[in-house]
Amino acid sequence: MGALWLILPGLTLICAGFAAPLALLARQSLDVFVPGRIGAVEGMGLTGENYRQLLTPAFLGLVWQTLWLGIATATVATAIAMPMAWAIVRRLSPRLRSLMLGLTFALVFLSVLVKIYAISMTFGAVGPFRPVLLALGINPNGRGYIEFVVAAGLVHAALPVAVLSLVGAVQNLDPRLLDAAGCLGAPRWRVHLDITLPMVRPALVSAWLIALTYAISAFVIPLVLGRGRVNFVSNMIYTRFSEIANYPSGAAISVVMLALSLITILLVARAAR
Amino acid sequence: MSIGSNTVMRGAWQDRLAGGLIWALLGVTLVFLLLPLVVAVVMSLDSRPFLGQLPPPSLSLQWYAKVFTSDYIGPSFATSLVVALVAVALNATAGTAAAVAITSGRLPGSRLLAQLFLSPLVVPAVVIGFGLLLVLARLGITSGIGRLMLGHIVITLPYAIRACMASLVGQDRRLTEAAAILGANEWQAFRSVTLPLIRTGIITGAIFTLAISLDDVAVSMFLVDRQNITLPVALVTHMRAAFDLTIAAIAVMAMVFTAFVVLILDVTLGIDRVIGQGLYRSEKENS
Repeated sequence: MGALWLILPGLTLICAGFAAPLALLARQSLDVFVPGRIGAVEGMGLTGENYRQLLTPAFLGLVWQTLWLGIATATVATAIAMPMAWAIVRRLSPRLRSLMLGLTFALVFLSVLVKIYAISMTFGAVGPFRPVLLALGINPNGRGYIEFVVAAGLVHAALPVAVLSLVGAVQNLDPRLLDAAGCLGAPRWRVHLDITLPMVRPALVSAWLIALTYAISAFVIPLVLGRGRVNFVSNMIYTRFSEIANYPSGAAISVVMLALSLITILLVARAAR
Repeated sequence: MSIGSNTVMRGAWQDRLAGGLIWALLGVTLVFLLLPLVVAVVMSLDSRPFLGQLPPPSLSLQWYAKVFTSDYIGPSFATSLVVALVAVALNATAGTAAAVAITSGRLPGSRLLAQLFLSPLVVPAVVIGFGLLLVLARLGITSGIGRLMLGHIVITLPYAIRACMASLVGQDRRLTEAAAILGANEWQAFRSVTLPLIRTGIITGAIFTLAISLDDVAVSMFLVDRQNITLPVALVTHMRAAFDLTIAAIAVMAMVFTAFVVLILDVTLGIDRVIGQGLYRSEKENS
């Protein structure tokens, strides 16, 4: 009885602030949209029209953009985080190790807004690299370069988290196994490929998954660094709400996006088994 | 024998090449992580009234002065702070209570309940923000500050509950039972036994709540109104509208604040201890 009273306030908050919104989104995504009216109109029945309207090259392109930039940045971040965690745990002196861990911690806690503002100043169209870009024949206002800057923002945000989550796995790796392989004549790179990587595989998969789900649901990074040219699905939900007030369509995109991230998590979790 | 030494030799130069490439990659990564922050610091000290090429011809603190005279930064920071503190307070009470109830083993379906409480973690924040807007509009709640408070609690509650549950799961239930045998009622047992044991969990949850709430844009974007705008939302709007180096000054202040918090965490909790030394490292160091 006491336990029930204890859980009640939290349960109310979660139901009102989380379960009810998701249920209403699902319901509202089936509503008929009447232009010029905010919200749905009662008594017009249900329709699949909001979903059918999403089957356009523009929206599918947006989904594709979100997915491929997400996969690319998660892969890059994990691939760099692994040797970085290794170096921190196994190669640095205790003093440097503490310093690097502190730095990684600080980067995890540092506001994402601060990071993307700093990145937009550094790699933006008027940043210090402008002459270099122009000399290389890269247009700083071109779509390809803006995609690169968005990816840079995502990697900057995801990398420290990936490093921290891999540090534990690397620490618990038995160095004697690696030494044994070395004694048997295997070069270091073979030891890492054949022993280190398979042993930290679960940690690598989970670091990759965390980075991927972070990237595909990113909102503020593409909003600021994408400069209106490179958008993610999340940005389209906001546009539906703020610019054309098409709530049913926004709700349909939300449902699609939720499905996208849940499917990603399930697929990766299954592949990791 | 010549084959053996041959392999070792071949391995050696390949190892040196691979090692060199990896160290170079790590060096480039470190520059990539830190260079933008350095650029932000330098730009925030720019004495020119416009955005010019680096490096600035001379330094000044004018942008820092503008942070304090700006008409939007103060009020929006106050809103952010109020919302974050309300979220911390509610998470520390309702969240801790829920964590205690779930781990007490006296509720049916506690695994399912735990999953329900943690599920906002896998839902994109934009979806939560938009859904919350729809529900609150239907309920007729239009106050920006109330909407923001609920939104921020929803996205931070899972972190608080998870931190609390982690510290509760590790503790011995016999301690509470011992207190009960000694005649303590449930509240006394909680206050004198459970609370001291889960204090670290509550503090960890509060730190996460503060960090997430003070940095949220995706949920807040949907819930702000004209009178109640949070600092991150105000900053994003200004970032997109015009390039104003006042934001660089705020960014540097945020960096100093973060460094300060991490330093405090290191001194009080010890980052090395939080992360641990692992199974094999400590062995090596002791010997």
